[in-house]
Amino acid sequence: MKNSKTIVELKDIVKIYGEHVVLKKVSFELKEGEIHCLIGENGAGKSTLIKILSGAVSPDSGEIYISGKLIKNMTPRLAVKLGISTVYQDTELVDSLTVAENIFLGEEKTKNSGFLVDRNHQNEQSRNILEALGIEISPDTLVGELSTAQKQMVQIAKALHRNAKVIIFDEPTSSLGLEETKNLMNLVRNLKEKGIGIIYISHYLSEIFELGDRVTILKDGENMGTYEVKAVDISTITNKMVGRDTSLFFKKRKVNIGEEQVEIKNLSKEGIIHDVSFSVRKGEIFGIGGLVGSGRTELVSMIFGIMKPDKGEVRIKGKKLKINSPIDAIRNGICFVPEDRKKYAMLLGRNVVENSTIIYHEIQQNNLLNLKQELNLCSSMVKRLSVAVSNRDQLIEELSGGNQQKVILGRWLFDEDAILYIFDEPTKGVDIGAREQIYELMTELAEKGKSIIMVSSDMPELISMSDRIGVMRNGRMIEILENKNIKEEELIKLFIGV
Amino acid sequence: MLNSLSNEILPKGKKSIFKNQWFFLLLAEVVLAIITGVINSRFFTLSNLTNILEQIAVLGILASGMTALIISGEIDISVGANVGLVTCVIAMMIKNDISYLWVVIIAILLSSFNSFLVGASSIAFKAPSFIVSLGFLSIFRGTAYAITKGVFQTIYGKFEALGLTRIGGLLPLGFLIGIIIYFAIHFILKYTRLGRHIYAVGSNSTAAYLSGISVVKTKLYAFLLNGFLIGIASMILLSRIGAAQPTTGTGMELKAIGAVVIGGTPLSGGKGNIFGTFLGVLLMGMISNTLNMLRVNPYFQEVVFGLFIVAALAVSAFSSYKGTFKKKLLKS
Repeated sequence: MKNSKTIVELKDIVKIYGEHVVLKKVSFELKEGEIHCLIGENGAGKSTLIKILSGAVSPDSGEIYISGKLIKNMTPRLAVKLGISTVYQDTELVDSLTVAENIFLGEEKTKNSGFLVDRNHQNEQSRNILEALGIEISPDTLVGELSTAQKQMVQIAKALHRNAKVIIFDEPTSSLGLEETKNLMNLVRNLKEKGIGIIYISHYLSEIFELGDRVTILKDGENMGTYEVKAVDISTITNKMVGRDTSLFFKKRKVNIGEEQVEIKNLSKEGIIHDVSFSVRKGEIFGIGGLVGSGRTELVSMIFGIMKPDKGEVRIKGKKLKINSPIDAIRNGICFVPEDRKKYAMLLGRNVVENSTIIYHEIQQNNLLNLKQELNLCSSMVKRLSVAVSNRDQLIEELSGGNQQKVILGRWLFDEDAILYIFDEPTKGVDIGAREQIYELMTELAEKGKSIIMVSSDMPELISMSDRIGVMRNGRMIEILENKNIKEEELIKLFIGV
Repeated sequence: MLNSLSNEILPKGKKSIFKNQWFFLLLAEVVLAIITGVINSRFFTLSNLTNILEQIAVLGILASGMTALIISGEIDISVGANVGLVTCVIAMMIKNDISYLWVVIIAILLSSFNSFLVGASSIAFKAPSFIVSLGFLSIFRGTAYAITKGVFQTIYGKFEALGLTRIGGLLPLGFLIGIIIYFAIHFILKYTRLGRHIYAVGSNSTAAYLSGISVVKTKLYAFLLNGFLIGIASMILLSRIGAAQPTTGTGMELKAIGAVVIGGTPLSGGKGNIFGTFLGVLLMGMISNTLNMLRVNPYFQEVVFGLFIVAALAVSAFSSYKGTFKKKLLKS
């Protein structure tokens, strides 16, 4: 392997979204017949890097070499032509077509007439590819009838049919069972022997140690190093994934914590959340950490009444709540700031005043609106959170990300009786200045005796803001830690499970 | 924690009038009036102007209900057929000398019920209201044929007050009712919680739901409001023309939707206002009147209406396209 040729070389790739630098001069190399693992926290830049290689996203600077040739303007089409294929977790297959039709999609084999599809030929070739891979799926099965694992196998067959030289696996085993994972890993080894270069993204360190030749660690859009898997140990990897400068941490004021006022008991939902219990005290910020897909957002959506649990209860001040929809949660003093504000919170095309008072009107329940009072409330919120907005007719989408988030948070500040605030990724896509103001606001809410649940993928945020941290993994809250000098390294190990 | 009222109130936004769609509409109307007036001096006579007002009353009322419905993110293309069914039913009632009180009650109940059916089915079957109302269009029209057996229902000089009264000998009663309805809808949209819900649901129904708003209720109210207004419009229409048949009202929904779109309310919902719709209706009424004055073949009138709707869509698409185009230019 040492002497084999380099197929992919990415040099100093930079990608910027708005004010956020997602990739900072990342370089990456892949050889023929190599399994090169890519690892990093949520939002470290793995997906972006792969999207750049497969042409879905274009970099702001940097160079892409495929088999030594500089490729300018990579597109998804060109990537496929150059032999780069990606196997996604949510497969990109058409459910209503057969396995063979999917494998040949876009380059159907036609009969002499050039018009009719040659089914027999397609089925036969597909069977050959599948058999060579040791996959037992009939080419004329409908893809919709296959399991997730089988769909991934079909994707691999499709990649091989297109003469792939590079196959990218993006979290391939996250929804597979034990047996299926083993089969997939065998298949990956099989591909390696054929001389195909493999980029393997996974949160599961055990897979990396079992499969990988080399591993590259990304942190906050930077390459923290590429290592031979044989010459590296687990703690080196986890330490490289985290370990940030202390200047990134917010210094939160000490808040007096009172008695328990929110209790979550045995919350369960088949296949998603398993028996989660915890409590939040007055003035406490309860952080929830874990990998993407560990069930954090689902857990808080159940508390807010978006999703109905199979079992379990939510108690506030000892009283068991009946919550069937968000309005019930709101009436019981629960506030919720969702992760994706554009999709779940912003009223696009409406102005700042309407966007900031929507909750107020639902709590007051006055059928006639007092526009003057509404404007007063909005103005005081704007002043209080120093939202950069020039006039009352400004639409919410015209504000910057940080100011949008402030308006969305501001919605929930008109209810003096609110008890529990749930923040899901409160500072996602928010600039540093606004971020500190949001932390300050959370601290003030805590000082007023509110209870706060904060879901966050941002490790410094989780550690600097939380009084306790609940760690979610595979739908379970596996541990609740008192936040006394918790280190990022310990947390990431709990998230991944090593 | 925000109860301390601030002294600094957010100022009003300064928006150039050239960015307002209503400015261009008004301009188009003035220009159209001048041109027509120059070619045919009869345009500016009092009788012609009141004629225009009388003619736009029914379309205007239908367009006002459609405005609220479109803002809520829904649409109903069975409106014309609903008008057809309601006018036939009440024409038959009037023919049989049933009291006008019952006529009014049945007109409004029937049109509201029809509209409610469209909305409720669309919500229950999770199907777009465009498609569902297409189905109901056929049901309403077919029912009208069935109950009238296709026979023309004339009402010989009965039930005339609503459509033919002119207050002070000038202002058509139907138009006055229309104006009152416009003020009422403006009030609902701007000053009530229901109005806020309509905008919120049309803008982002998920965000509205997470804010505690019942999306289903809001949409049903918008359908009911539309149905109520269809009932009123149907009565004025029947009163004015004195007869009904199953094809009465055909194509009215398209004119109403056209007027709403020309008035600056996008079909995507969440935006728009009733003032724009008023100008849109006025423009349509004027075009129709102008084409008559200029003796344009009536078949071409349809073509001209269509062109205006396409042009209005093009203008609104272009203004939003310009933004993205600029961004693309900056990027490259």
